[in-house]
Amino acid sequence: MSVPGLDRREFFRVLALRSGKIGAGGGLLYGLLGLRPGSALPAGVRGDLGIVRPPGALEEPDFLARCIRCTECADACEAQCIRLFGPEAGDLQGTPYILPADKACTICLACGPACPSGALTPQTKREEPRMGVAVVDERLCVSHNGTGVCGACHTVCPLRNRAITQDYRNAPVVHEEACIGCGLCEEFCIVRDRRAIRVETRRRPRGEDGAPA
Amino acid sequence: MSKLHVTRRTVQVLVVVFMLLIPVLARYQNYVAAREIDRVLERWSGTAAGGVLQAVDTTMRALPGAEKERAGRVQRDRAQVLEYAQLARGGPWSATVGPVSMTDPLGAVESMVASRALPWVLLASLLVPLAATLLLGRIFCSWICPVGFLLELTDKMRGAMRFLEIRPRDLKPSRTTKYGVLAAGLVLTAVLAIPVLGYVYPPAIVGREAHDVVFAFFDRAEMGRFGPWAGGLSWMALLLVAIISFEVLVSRRWWCRYVCPGGALYSLIGWARPVRVKLQSDRCTQCALCVAACPEGLNPMKNQMGMECDNCGECVASCGDDALAFGFDGPLIDVLRPSEREVHAESKQ
Repeated sequence: MSVPGLDRREFFRVLALRSGKIGAGGGLLYGLLGLRPGSALPAGVRGDLGIVRPPGALEEPDFLARCIRCTECADACEAQCIRLFGPEAGDLQGTPYILPADKACTICLACGPACPSGALTPQTKREEPRMGVAVVDERLCVSHNGTGVCGACHTVCPLRNRAITQDYRNAPVVHEEACIGCGLCEEFCIVRDRRAIRVETRRRPRGEDGAPA
Repeated sequence: MSKLHVTRRTVQVLVVVFMLLIPVLARYQNYVAAREIDRVLERWSGTAAGGVLQAVDTTMRALPGAEKERAGRVQRDRAQVLEYAQLARGGPWSATVGPVSMTDPLGAVESMVASRALPWVLLASLLVPLAATLLLGRIFCSWICPVGFLLELTDKMRGAMRFLEIRPRDLKPSRTTKYGVLAAGLVLTAVLAIPVLGYVYPPAIVGREAHDVVFAFFDRAEMGRFGPWAGGLSWMALLLVAIISFEVLVSRRWWCRYVCPGGALYSLIGWARPVRVKLQSDRCTQCALCVAACPEGLNPMKNQMGMECDNCGECVASCGDDALAFGFDGPLIDVLRPSEREVHAESKQ
């Protein structure tokens, strides 16, 4: 292979220069274009149930504006339940979320004071945060559908007998006004594939159909 | 090797070590808080994750008051160990050490612009970085920033390229580019109402990547996988690769000199810094060693460093004639002692 006026050394030099320039420019552009709203969320973050944020998080458009995407809340979290979105989540990148089915919040409340930007408001009482509300799926819950007797969610609930009370055969009843959405019930639900009790929130990624911002 | 250079390198290395250590401590305090640490150490013994955790645990237990005797057995004082492990958090973008919270002014400004709010917590975490920058100038760039450190090291690769007979180019765009990047980023932040500069600001990216890599390391171990891992790194790391290759092949220290919005903001804040490098022109022999040494590409020989000097002290160390030294000067000092200036002006006449 030979190109007139371009020896091998020259060719590789030009190639390196060109690719370096294009790579750098492209990286910058992609970094910015990757911010498009409503990008794909990592597996396991269920768009239909909404995102669970750490306790004391501001409402969504304010939270996204305030949060500086540092890692301080995740470092402070005693339960290590706070995860951070990756770049595939677009404008949610670097913001904290919780997957209760994997690891639920134990309401240690260390994340609030750790937040340097005020995106998380420090909480003092374990009854106060509103991360979401647990919702029972009565077709899946063994105590509700009559295939067994469980009561795990009631046992593990930090607001036992207030947020969750029990009915016949230990069937859980959630009281929305008391439930803080910590998700411990979801983590310890014995129905493993799709939990019979799940935390639902009104926080949805921006740009999804019919979703409030 | 001057003393200042060695001190600066030590601080830079310590920043990198702490950047990787803090997420490890976060996982460690989780195992201690959940009373699982002994079980985890036993199950993970002989693995990399277990080794790291064991080293942290041994260090923690050696700290004063971290152990107590109960029922004839020496145990961790759980509350005390937790207190130690939770002493520091964050990364180069925003960190807390003990009671001191420090946030990069770029992040703070972005958050304020995006949310149109001035929260007290944010102002409080600006105190230390602002005070340091007002007094000493752009020292974040030369002493703390892990990417500045990395680029100082890859600077040396340009010499290796020459050895391979590939002559690296040295494009020199305008220095004011970075102020344009800062302004454009802040406008975009205001329009989108999300802090966008943190997504392209290298120290913020490195902090998040380091955090994710360490967490992925422990996540894998928790799932019982201890082999070599490549998880946690996202494609944001490619931006760093791009910056470094551009640096080596096309333009020396281009990011720090011409592009970095954080460096631009630090330069603006440190404009009137009283501590700066001063030239004694009667001693200078015009050898220009300092010009070659300056990582920011400034000219200490002409004493025209302005606000972009990051007070790294490389020029002071390179000077063989003792013509450069740190001293007090600048607009603030001028205001403080107008009489001296008058004296100087009189003596000139």
